[in-house]
Amino acid sequence: MASEDTIPVLKVLIIGPSGAGKSALLLRYCDDQFDPESSTATIGIDFKSKHLAVRGKAYRLNVFDTAGQERFRTLSTSYYRGAHGVILVYDISSRASFVGMEKWIDEAKQNAAPNAILYLVGSKLDKVAGGGRAVSYEEGQAFAEANGAMFCEVSAKTKENIKRPFVEVVDQIVQKPDLLAGALPRSNNTTLNIGNLGSDYSSACPC
Amino acid sequence: MESLGDEPWDVVICGTGLQQSLLALALSRSKKRILHTDPNDYYGQHEAALTLQDAERFAAKYAASSGAGDERKSVLRNAAVWKPDDAEAQGLKFPRAYSLALAPQIIHTKSKLLSNLVSSRAYRQVEFLAVGSFYVYEPAKDGSDSKLSRIPSSREDVFSSQSIPARSKRSLMKFLKFVLEFESDDQKPLWEDQADAPLTDFLTAQFKLEDDLKRYVVALTMALDGKASVRSGLAAINRHLTSMGTFGPGFCAVYPKWGGLSEVAQVACRAGAVGGGIYMLDTSATLKPSGENEKASLELSNDITVQAGSVISGQETTTGGQAISRLVAVVKSPLNSLFQVLVEGAPTPAVAVVALPSTPSPIYALVHSSDTGECPVGQCVVYLTTLATADSKHELEQALAMLVKAVEGEESTSPCLYQLYYEQAIGDRKSTTEKLGTTSALSFPPLSVTLAFEDSDLEAVKSAWSLVMGDESDEETYLVFEDREGADAEDEIYE
Repeated sequence: MASEDTIPVLKVLIIGPSGAGKSALLLRYCDDQFDPESSTATIGIDFKSKHLAVRGKAYRLNVFDTAGQERFRTLSTSYYRGAHGVILVYDISSRASFVGMEKWIDEAKQNAAPNAILYLVGSKLDKVAGGGRAVSYEEGQAFAEANGAMFCEVSAKTKENIKRPFVEVVDQIVQKPDLLAGALPRSNNTTLNIGNLGSDYSSACPC
Repeated sequence: MESLGDEPWDVVICGTGLQQSLLALALSRSKKRILHTDPNDYYGQHEAALTLQDAERFAAKYAASSGAGDERKSVLRNAAVWKPDDAEAQGLKFPRAYSLALAPQIIHTKSKLLSNLVSSRAYRQVEFLAVGSFYVYEPAKDGSDSKLSRIPSSREDVFSSQSIPARSKRSLMKFLKFVLEFESDDQKPLWEDQADAPLTDFLTAQFKLEDDLKRYVVALTMALDGKASVRSGLAAINRHLTSMGTFGPGFCAVYPKWGGLSEVAQVACRAGAVGGGIYMLDTSATLKPSGENEKASLELSNDITVQAGSVISGQETTTGGQAISRLVAVVKSPLNSLFQVLVEGAPTPAVAVVALPSTPSPIYALVHSSDTGECPVGQCVVYLTTLATADSKHELEQALAMLVKAVEGEESTSPCLYQLYYEQAIGDRKSTTEKLGTTSALSFPPLSVTLAFEDSDLEAVKSAWSLVMGDESDEETYLVFEDREGADAEDEIYE
């Protein structure tokens, strides 16, 4: 297996309205955890890392959470820097969260790189059983298609489809060489390794 | 929304300028309940990076002149944007393709800001680029065209320089060696008794430096008035020389990609949010009168009133005094020759510094390549600065034209596609503190408007941190954090 330093690092963001289940999706996928009681805003999670292999090649996927900055729509432009993919999440049991996706898609298109992969996720698929669906699958899919995004519905509670958005986003990213180029370590000669200053100075690469 | 008013906020931070944002970062691992607001709908305030659309709104907001009288005046003033009528036809792209930095300071590799960002683990979200060569503008003379002369800035550089005669090289080498240890007990007697005298006189008397070399040395001090004292000038050149090579060969300073200190402020605010801080942009906060035994109340522009244990803000006004003029110009040329790699193994620089002689004070230009992400490929952004006078806007515009001709030749026709001009007060550099009932309030002074980031600006951040933390402030823990993300989840392999 390739060493840590040579694995391409992919940056994927999760955005969408508060309460849509962004953190539940992230925690279920990365840590296989689900806390049905937790409905408060997310604190303390910057991003989660996960290794995965697609088409026989290893990647490190860093999935970034909004850190509550979606609540008053204060995500910074710097949050979007270098993102290879953006996963937009709405709650299929909330009409309002779906209606709000228009603005989130606009924000993602304005701030992310023009060739970044967009992926729309309808969350809380488990609520369908209790008659809680407020947005049909077809509506979700049509909206995604109209915006050049891929689409699926998931449940962090039952784990249904939970890996699919991540695997498909990565699969799309790795098929775009221009997008992937920035993920390769030392792929350019301009960005510096400032971390050399840190405690691991002696072991760090001197370049 | 209701819950915001009920929350007992430990601290309300007003404004997302660099200092407020670094405070949010410093508090991000404390258990303090933090509300962080900004009146603008973008981050960074005086250190923001602006799209062309933002720049137009910025210019409208700060268009007013400073006016007469001695009442307090806005830190930012006389702002205006300009573009040619056919700018788009000439190559100006869409507004979001640009990110014009209000704070384009270079950051020396030895700066405490960088060690703070590393120890707090915030540096991972910022992309740093190398600051390359420093140049002095040489006007046309004896039939030769105007040009930019590169300042040699290391001993190897002086050795290999072809433009300096051998005898001058020896004097310059002697000076560089001295500067490296100017604060040692051996060297102090040489300059201490004339510490406040002009550096140029000292260079003549002690090192017999010729005029050309003196201009190089004075340019490297980056003193806005061009009149560095011996003490401040030696300190500035020492910083320049000792910063060289810290992170790699060939550069002494770095620059955050995508708009300078704006990026640092945004990343620091994100760390504040990850720590549980609540962020509200487009929201101004006004202090309400509070009783002796009450916490301070702030009325937000969305009609919510919040109470705070501490209130930290930034000074928006100053009592007159000196200001600087800034011209931010998008030029339709990459000015590639300024960004060459000159030392083997050095990174490609994205920033070049040019000193242009002018009276009464010199003009400095920071030239940014499109690698900074501040403009599209094939263009560059030039940030010109000088001390403000009645005529400085015109002088900066002339300096821009001179600079482009010196790089591209007299026949150059590379047009300026866009300009943002404004003046920025230097301010009195002191935080203000006051008591509001049981609440302490602190207001940061405006950031230094120098060309290089000044570590002294970080002191006020630490004071504010101590104020908010009170008895819990342990200096050892200030901005020293572990990485946030847990260990990698177990590997999963998908086909």
